[in-house]
Amino acid sequence: MRALIQRLWHGLVVVAIVVTATFVLVRLAPGDPFVGALDNARLTPELRAHWRAVYGLDGSIGTQYLHWIASLLRGDLGFSTSTNQPVAHAIAQALPYTVWLMGIALLLSFAFGMSLGAVQAARHDRLSDRSIGAITLVGAALPDFWLSLVVLLAGARWLRLFPVGGASDPLLPSAASALTVVADRLHHLALPVLTLIVLIAAPVARQQRVALLDKLGAEWVRTATAKGVAPFAVFRRHAWRTALGPVVTLGGLTLPALVGGAVFVERVFAWPGMGLLVATAISSRDYHLVVGCVLVGAMMVIIGSTAADLLSQRLDPRAAQRDDDGQRVPL
Amino acid sequence: MPSFRTVRLLPLLALVACGGSRDTAPTVAANAPGGTVVISTPGEPDNLLPPITVSQAGQQVEALLFEHLAEIGVGLNTMGDAGFMPSLATSWDWASDSLSIAFHLDPAARWHDGKPVRAADVAFSFVLYTDPKTASPTATLLTNIDSVAVRDSLTAVVWFKARKPEQFFDIADQMFVLPQHLLGTVDRAQLASSPFATRPVGSGPFRFVRWAQKQALELAADTTGGRRRAQLDRVVYSVAPDPVTAFTRVAAGEADLFEAVRPNNVADVVASAQLRLTVLPSLDYTYLGFNLVDAATNKPHPIFGDRTVRRALTMATDRRGIVTNIYDTLAVQARGPFTMKLSSADSTLVPLPYAPDSAAALLDAAGWLRGADSLRHKGGRTLAFGILVPSTSVARMRAAVLLQEQFRKIGADVKVESTDFGTFGSRMASRTFETIVNQWSPDPGPSSVVDVWTSAAANKGGNNMGSYRNPAFDAQVDSGLAAFAPADMRRHFATAWRIIADDAPAIWLAEPRRVMAIQKRIVTTGMRPDAWWAGIAQWRIPVDQRIARDAPAGVTR
Repeated sequence: MRALIQRLWHGLVVVAIVVTATFVLVRLAPGDPFVGALDNARLTPELRAHWRAVYGLDGSIGTQYLHWIASLLRGDLGFSTSTNQPVAHAIAQALPYTVWLMGIALLLSFAFGMSLGAVQAARHDRLSDRSIGAITLVGAALPDFWLSLVVLLAGARWLRLFPVGGASDPLLPSAASALTVVADRLHHLALPVLTLIVLIAAPVARQQRVALLDKLGAEWVRTATAKGVAPFAVFRRHAWRTALGPVVTLGGLTLPALVGGAVFVERVFAWPGMGLLVATAISSRDYHLVVGCVLVGAMMVIIGSTAADLLSQRLDPRAAQRDDDGQRVPL
Repeated sequence: MPSFRTVRLLPLLALVACGGSRDTAPTVAANAPGGTVVISTPGEPDNLLPPITVSQAGQQVEALLFEHLAEIGVGLNTMGDAGFMPSLATSWDWASDSLSIAFHLDPAARWHDGKPVRAADVAFSFVLYTDPKTASPTATLLTNIDSVAVRDSLTAVVWFKARKPEQFFDIADQMFVLPQHLLGTVDRAQLASSPFATRPVGSGPFRFVRWAQKQALELAADTTGGRRRAQLDRVVYSVAPDPVTAFTRVAAGEADLFEAVRPNNVADVVASAQLRLTVLPSLDYTYLGFNLVDAATNKPHPIFGDRTVRRALTMATDRRGIVTNIYDTLAVQARGPFTMKLSSADSTLVPLPYAPDSAAALLDAAGWLRGADSLRHKGGRTLAFGILVPSTSVARMRAAVLLQEQFRKIGADVKVESTDFGTFGSRMASRTFETIVNQWSPDPGPSSVVDVWTSAAANKGGNNMGSYRNPAFDAQVDSGLAAFAPADMRRHFATAWRIIADDAPAIWLAEPRRVMAIQKRIVTTGMRPDAWWAGIAQWRIPVDQRIARDAPAGVTR
């Protein structure tokens, strides 16, 4: 428990450093929230200066930082200039959409990727291993923006099986039944989830294959086989379980995407989640929203990596940390 | 070099023109109101409170929710009241000295919450727009208005400080009338964060229904008042931030209209059985602007401070070729800081010719001589500069690359500096650029040139980013704006345009047309160069052409 608390404390320090760096860097970048609409000559510099003052962006970075910290301590993340609402509201609106999208996509991607990796390892050096390997290599190499567009055009425009992006049918009656609403949401989720599965499952499969091949050659696996344990049981109980470590670590590192979203996929599929929110915030120099999103994302990185360590340790007790005396310290 | 010339647009556009109209004596049943128009848009309103709205997406929606006292006509005349159509005001009377106008409001006008629209709302709106706390971008357009008085509940009298040709336009078409009973108590410094800014109540042909940010915004025809209702039941804005996705929605039949079709999608629209291509003139113009002041020394720029060099670079540029390469037939060559749809336009103005040999001779005469490296030099300085351009604009990026190549031929070493929009805006505002590919979308009135090209706008903080100054140009603009006779106004502006064309503070490039994809079942009308959406309330969908989504809201499709 002590180690866990220590780890979370270190995590908080990391979050503070990341957020502070973001706070400063985003303000040092050229432009500001009120530099947009450049083709509108009515927007005089005086007006822009007025709005900077209204939103508290006219002071020094240090002054702004102190004000922001004071607001943060009151639970206020500031006001989003691009969405015209408090940052917390903007994040609370976008977060469920990203959790929906990334939750389903991560779950299916890891299940699919791990299955592919297992099949490859079980059929090492056979045609199926090489074929799947080639496919996953292509999947891992595809640019997400390009793949998103291809999937969108194929599924929505050419085949017309799925809607062209969005999270729901804008014409769905407000009195629609819950079943209709869920079906509509799943219909809209199909293409972005499919895209994410291709992008995420490929590296998962490759990690799983390498880890399994390593474990399949281990002494304890050979011993179990020699003792007459059924091949499937050897594979599942002695090899696969111990080979989960790298995949779990990968899962932990991917976990922040659960709230961070996938910027390009969300943009192309017009999915109103965190990825799209962050992209909009950065391009419109919405300082408070950028920092708010980074704060949430950084916290998820800490939680994700800690959870991955805990899970790895549960799967393989040798992964526990050691104290100064070399004694095992469970998290 | 990529080009879409293989798509021969002229014959296609001829077909478009033929297929665009379906005004063939519709029956009463065919004219029955109803239907839904889904507009696919990459942009989203910043807010829906007219005095503080900046985005064009917001202005589009507000034009359906709120009303002006009178609407500018399709001819875009801004002098006097010629061509203006009644809107919230059914009529108006000019005082004999023209220093006041009495607007008579439609007694049937109601706010969407049922309260009547009254003259006090007009007076309140003027105060709201012009209150410094509100910080409205429109306030500068209302500076000639002294006050608005309430003669009776349906008559608002607008008093002007001075008699000016555009005084009617200023009050009638620049200011939306807003509900005092809903906004009167709102802190004007906090208008943007007020609930009204996202859930507005207007008096226009459509009322607000819902807005799911980054998803959709829905309006419904207001049927509660006694006034003529919109022909459509609903207008839904479907948001897709990526332009490819936004266009795909229309191409796939999920949406009815996309207002910014890219050249590479034009053939798709023309080939579609459901879509028609609508090409409208716009008020936008693009140009390569020279910075006449050296940002480092704050003295005349060593290259662009010289009028001869600017003229030479202009003459070295094949502007017609650039426009054709980028837009094919979907833009025309710009002649100056105006578009042909402005009342101040001069169609007889002949731009500096494309004459590379003459341009080379001018540069030689100015002392910029070719060296062994094929570049030009003068006093130890190379003819080298950068072109600042936003990377998000495909058309402007292509223009920059084409300009770079043409300048290279004449001996200039040019770098294209593509940046994100924030950086572009920041450098533009701080004037830390040498040349810039920019675009302006001016108001319909001739006075819009004042904010961008006159000496007053060249002062620090003004929008004349290249710091062009010429008192003769300023004088002609001032005289043109003071003229009450349209012919006098045009004569002064013709002279002003000639002066600025000769001074060449910029290379005027293109007047891009607005290229829209619209479902054929929608009969459009009243599209203006400055606002294609102006006539949406009169758009209709014939009954026999309606599809599932045209069913009234709430009806299972």
